[in-house]
Amino acid sequence: MKNITTNIRKTILNMANASGSPHIGSALSCTDIISTLYFKVMNISKPISNDRDYFLLSKAHSAMALYGTLYEKDFLDKKTIEGYYQNGGTLPAHTDRDTSDFIEISAGSLGHGLPIALGIANSIKLKNESNKVFVLLGDGEMQEGSVWEAAMLAPKLGVDNLTIFIDHNNLQGYGRATELVEFYPVKEKWESFGWETYVIDGHDCKEIERVSKIQSSKPKAIICNTTKGKGVSFMEDELIWHYFIVTDEIKEQALKELI
Amino acid sequence: MRNTIANEIIKKAQKDKNLFLIAGDAGLRVWDEYKVDFPNQYLNPGVNEQCDIGLAAGMALRGHKPIFYNIAPFVIMRPYEQVRNDICYQNLPVILIGTGSGLTYAPAGMTHYAIEDIALGLTMPNLDIFSPADPIEAKKCFEYAYNSSKPSYIRVPKAGEETIHKNEDIDITQPIIIKEGKDGILFVHSSMIDEISTLDDLLQKNNINLTFATVPMITTKYKFEKILNDFNHIFTLEEHYENGGFGSLLTNYINNSDLCKKIIKFGIKNEYIHKIGNRDYLRKYYEIDATSVYKKIIKRIKKC
Repeated sequence: MKNITTNIRKTILNMANASGSPHIGSALSCTDIISTLYFKVMNISKPISNDRDYFLLSKAHSAMALYGTLYEKDFLDKKTIEGYYQNGGTLPAHTDRDTSDFIEISAGSLGHGLPIALGIANSIKLKNESNKVFVLLGDGEMQEGSVWEAAMLAPKLGVDNLTIFIDHNNLQGYGRATELVEFYPVKEKWESFGWETYVIDGHDCKEIERVSKIQSSKPKAIICNTTKGKGVSFMEDELIWHYFIVTDEIKEQALKELI
Repeated sequence: MRNTIANEIIKKAQKDKNLFLIAGDAGLRVWDEYKVDFPNQYLNPGVNEQCDIGLAAGMALRGHKPIFYNIAPFVIMRPYEQVRNDICYQNLPVILIGTGSGLTYAPAGMTHYAIEDIALGLTMPNLDIFSPADPIEAKKCFEYAYNSSKPSYIRVPKAGEETIHKNEDIDITQPIIIKEGKDGILFVHSSMIDEISTLDDLLQKNNINLTFATVPMITTKYKFEKILNDFNHIFTLEEHYENGGFGSLLTNYINNSDLCKKIIKFGIKNEYIHKIGNRDYLRKYYEIDATSVYKKIIKRIKKC
């Protein structure tokens, strides 16, 4: 996985640089989670088919990590990646499902992905099908009320095919989730809502794979301890990389670290 | 109209196992039999409208035909962004059904009135908006929505409305003339239909004969030139804010056409309602009852 995640991080840096788009830190934070799902966990292949597993990027401002992963899987081509965030381009900063069969939802406003995933998972269960549904949320996103509406309803629907990942990098737009709200205890919150809950290192691909594959009779919540900007030392855990633009100089500096 | 739609849902559910009803903790006794007969096609998820709309969108993405039923403010206002992003932006065939259109629930209080729902709905491309005036129109609107691949919003008052059409041979995608007259035309939708008989009587006593037409599909693609060319006086009457309802839509239509016509809109003044009283009382207060409208029409026709 190391080569794969390094390649994806390079793609992300190149996309951020070529486009001048923000959110590099958020994308690097969840690269290991998304890539492990696509390369080690999910049943998904080209062309897209109805028996695929689903991945929904609810924290859609990290879209570069998804685009980079889909490119590495050969689900998106080079031209599409190069059209990211460009005038008359191919991919917006926040996902639009019209852009590719492999983009499951249009998203960008926080708190939408989990309810939609719950609908997909419920539909699959009602049809006695076996697809799995994975969703990635941000830790800041957990402040949205709709997340808790869905959190309360999901166990009641018996959606044992639903797994959420919380990218807990503790650095949202303008502060730390653990300081802005009563974030902790986070594991106990999800457990008390009826979810099977795990806390893991969100950059340990083997651990992500192992926990993702555990069978459970309940919906699963995997809290992933992560570092925003992971992989580029000067971006790690720095709030500015939620917004700052990757200049040519920054890109070269960062790429050296990824070799 | 509510019960008519409920019956249609039952009929469809028998044949279509993908039809799925999400009744947002609303509809006392309406779904008692349905939930027993179709337990795998029914969910009362509780009070969580944002989640319900996302849930419906997700189920539609996987091939279900979801219907979200609730009182109108909680269908389109509370979860507005979910309706916008999850359903309309993604253009999913979800049917939203809102009861208590207009002032139906008065004097429940402003939070329970749906007098800006059309305005909100019109901001969302892809969404078809229906406001039927009788049970037959309601049935046909539901049928249209059920067969559509786009999102739909059907607003109905409640149960027990009078049937105005003689048979089901109507086309809800265009205005439906319910009475012809030469002195002008008045468009009406939803429960305001029950003012029309009195209004017509009052006008006829003054030798004024209007054409009355319902508009069950607010987002109709109908070419209004066909009907408006024949009239000098054009009126709209609705239990909705005057700004942003069907009257505004028709005004925009005319402004963008070659027609040299003016619309007189009768609707609710744009203000939060603090006045307490039932629907008839509030209609009088906002001067959209038959007598008030009659006076305004007479004045207008005499003036122009």
